[in-house]
Amino acid sequence: MSTAGHGALTRTKILKRQQAVSRAMEGVAWLAAFTAVAILVVVVWSVARRGASQLSFDFLTKPQIAYDPTQPQGLANAFVGTFVIVAIATAMALPFGILVAIYVNEFATRWIRNAIGLVLDLLQGVPAIVIGFFVFGLIVLPLHQQSALAASFALAVMMLPLVARTTIEVLKLVPSSLREASLGLGVPRWRTVVGVVLPQSVGGTLTGVTLAVARVAGETAPILFTSSLVANGTSWNPTHALMTVPLAIFELSDQPDLPSQQRAWAAAFVLLMFILFASLAARWLATRSKRKLGRAR
Amino acid sequence: MRLGDFVLQGVAGAAAFASLGLVALIVIEIVHRARPAYSAFGFSFVYRVIWDPVHDVYGAGSYLFGTVITSFGALLLAAPLAIGIGLFLSELAPKGILAPVTALVETLAAIPSVVIGLWGLIVLAPFLRDHVDPALHSVLGFIPLFGQAAVGPSLFTAIIVLTIMILPIIASISRELFLAVPSELKEGALGLGATRWQMVRGVSLSYSRSGIAAAMILGLGRALGEAIAVTQVIGGGTEILWNLFTPGDTLASKIAANYQGTSGLLETPALLYLATILLVFSLITSVLAQLIVRHAARQHGAQ
Amino acid sequence: MPRTRLKIRIVLVAALAGALVALTATVAGASRLTGTHLSGAGSTFVQPLVNKWISPVKSQLGTALTYNGVGSTGGVTAIDSRGVDMGMSDAPLSQFPGKCTNCVQMPWALAGTAVVYNLPSLPYLHISGPVLAQMFNCTITKWNAPAIKALNPGRTLPNTTIFPVHRTDGSGTTYNFTDFLSKVSSAWRNGPGTGTSVSWPSCGGNALGGSHSSGVSGVVKGQVGSIGYVDVYYAKSNSLQYMDVKNAAGKYIQPTLASFKAAGSSDTTPNSNGVISIVYPSASFPTAYPICTYTYVDVQKTGNGSQAPVIRKFLNWAIHTGQSYGPALLFQPLDPGVVTWDTNNAIPHIGS
Repeated sequence: MSTAGHGALTRTKILKRQQAVSRAMEGVAWLAAFTAVAILVVVVWSVARRGASQLSFDFLTKPQIAYDPTQPQGLANAFVGTFVIVAIATAMALPFGILVAIYVNEFATRWIRNAIGLVLDLLQGVPAIVIGFFVFGLIVLPLHQQSALAASFALAVMMLPLVARTTIEVLKLVPSSLREASLGLGVPRWRTVVGVVLPQSVGGTLTGVTLAVARVAGETAPILFTSSLVANGTSWNPTHALMTVPLAIFELSDQPDLPSQQRAWAAAFVLLMFILFASLAARWLATRSKRKLGRAR
Repeated sequence: MRLGDFVLQGVAGAAAFASLGLVALIVIEIVHRARPAYSAFGFSFVYRVIWDPVHDVYGAGSYLFGTVITSFGALLLAAPLAIGIGLFLSELAPKGILAPVTALVETLAAIPSVVIGLWGLIVLAPFLRDHVDPALHSVLGFIPLFGQAAVGPSLFTAIIVLTIMILPIIASISRELFLAVPSELKEGALGLGATRWQMVRGVSLSYSRSGIAAAMILGLGRALGEAIAVTQVIGGGTEILWNLFTPGDTLASKIAANYQGTSGLLETPALLYLATILLVFSLITSVLAQLIVRHAARQHGAQ
Repeated sequence: MPRTRLKIRIVLVAALAGALVALTATVAGASRLTGTHLSGAGSTFVQPLVNKWISPVKSQLGTALTYNGVGSTGGVTAIDSRGVDMGMSDAPLSQFPGKCTNCVQMPWALAGTAVVYNLPSLPYLHISGPVLAQMFNCTITKWNAPAIKALNPGRTLPNTTIFPVHRTDGSGTTYNFTDFLSKVSSAWRNGPGTGTSVSWPSCGGNALGGSHSSGVSGVVKGQVGSIGYVDVYYAKSNSLQYMDVKNAAGKYIQPTLASFKAAGSSDTTPNSNGVISIVYPSASFPTAYPICTYTYVDVQKTGNGSQAPVIRKFLNWAIHTGQSYGPALLFQPLDPGVVTWDTNNAIPHIGS
């Protein structure tokens, strides 16, 4: 039998223990967050420390010349190649993604909307290496040749879900009153979509594109089978296989000699800075477009 | 008027249906190119442990093993950490550091795999080999998994690298899930005298149960398909060895390692057979995650 | 407001169209760099020599040669898919069934593979083929094994674990090394066999892999007790320890130009496919280094267009003048018999 006093003591003890457990779990959560931040800081710091010191004008403008180690070496060919491949990939994915988004939002029945939503999710889940192999079988093998165009197609397939999704989201945000007003004034459906609804979504689509670019610019796996057997020297020709920055890092990372490793870190630093910049730009665009759409309401 | 509408709907519809066909096309192309290997080896390919270009005999056994061990190992480490981060970002973070920490976690997701692989190979692997592996071996050495540690590139290094890579996805989805828990439920629990932790455990975690499961499955899918960072740090092992501190290989990593070409006549189809297995895994995890999300939405809708 | 939006959209579309037009123009206008350009890819074994040739070829022939050392398998894949003008491989095309089926193959340089290892203060250890095979087959696991001690009387071998290191990429050097192992060990011949990429026994996790010669060298340098194989020039220029290998005559031979020449003299006529094997020459060549190989260049017989004469001119230069650049890089100049065969039976078949 417990007297009231004894019961109170036990209750306080239990309460105290529960409070202690709660505080401990809070500490665990803090520790988890700290770990994540620490990992990020360590990785970025490693790359920055080893890479930034290697940056030079030569590095950015001279191509990789394997035959003459006395000449200043750079990775200009990789920067050019990445630019060409990502630019063409964006040119492929952007119109496609917008069209898919338009269909889903303006014309599709609920069944098709769900189906496309599922397909976009499935597409996003396909590993990059499988997509690379897919394009290899589809384009590289029949043509017996690798090319930057094939690599662009692979990257475009990866960009599609991101671009389409963001555009769908932002099209949904466009108030239906706008559409109804336009249709009510006698403007044809297609002009309403293209001339009234779409311009409202430009900000959101740009965000999606920037995010997609940030994502695929650093991808190596799709490039392996489509644009890896490259000739030395800097080329802008998309019908050839072009060197890319992620692939250059990948190949240099295997080399144990110091100059190669230093070039790998420098390239990693440039790539990381570009991607961080693009992610920040996407975030800024997203806030801006949300504000704009908020005003339109 | 009608023509314009017709054209827009037609073109947009074509794009939409093309995207529907894209996934099917990927499956068809991969399976078609893998057919020679399937005809030669049949289903036993999936569990045979061999990769011999000289005698043209191949099997996915050791790669399947490596894939399962590294992906589930990474999930085991990443899930609790990520859920903790999600809780922190939704419940505990003081206003000043909430935004920066959220941004930092998302930035971790943006780091390309090849950069993580480079860091993993040159910085992480030697560190693990010299400090962590021997320590784990001396403490847990009675378990065969933590056997003798001699080299840097290993299954364990790959597990750590994969953990870092899937952490942000699970964390940001968890964060959104916890933020979506109806505040009445949370306040109700607190009002009844529950501690913070009791509220989280009894309300937030149980409410978001399915969502977290879906997040973990998505993280698993990501880990299964990662080729580049894994191939840089896993050491290219060829047998099934239960010691985590030995080199190993995964399905995706083996495919990536052979990108410069193959010598055996059936070697490329065999690699495509590996890709088929990988594709099946990724489709299963994507569909599973979707099903869970839909089921959870229906449940919460009904509440 | 809508009008300005429309204007912006028109500008964007125009810019996109302009970019596409520019792109098409680039694609249409730029053809594969021809005439004064030659591209090659493949073996890292021959890479130092080809790299050395780039300047003289430019000044003497007016041709800009580019070379990408992706490994023998990569080189054969590249020439098979016509991504380059020439593919370089240390392994004969018979190792790549179905690839480059309409190609000319000819030997154009000769060098050796060194057995490198990492045991501080124990330079120039003696090794024999059979013992080497056992080390890579995991039947000998420690450096102080009796079999190794027997080959090195008077040297104190440590009780260190052996870590056999192999090439992870498809490599002609692997082909050369496994060819040697197959010739001296029936266990190896009936087991992993000969190839550019073989099923290496994993030795309970002790077997390590490296990508390209540089990768193998890096692994060997970083792991005491490891043993691997790289081309001789690479071993010497990176100060790796290498072994004296026992040849068929029972002598322990260092990889030097003289020993390569002796090996080369064991067979000076390529077969009808252009292949010569000089691995493990018989005891009649007592000074021969047993792990030597010719390296081949593969060119498509047809479809070279205006590049054909450029290729022929370059290859002619390579097997004559080019050979003089070899010795400094530990490539033994070709025997006249090989040069004659190449000139008569290989180069003329390179057509447009």
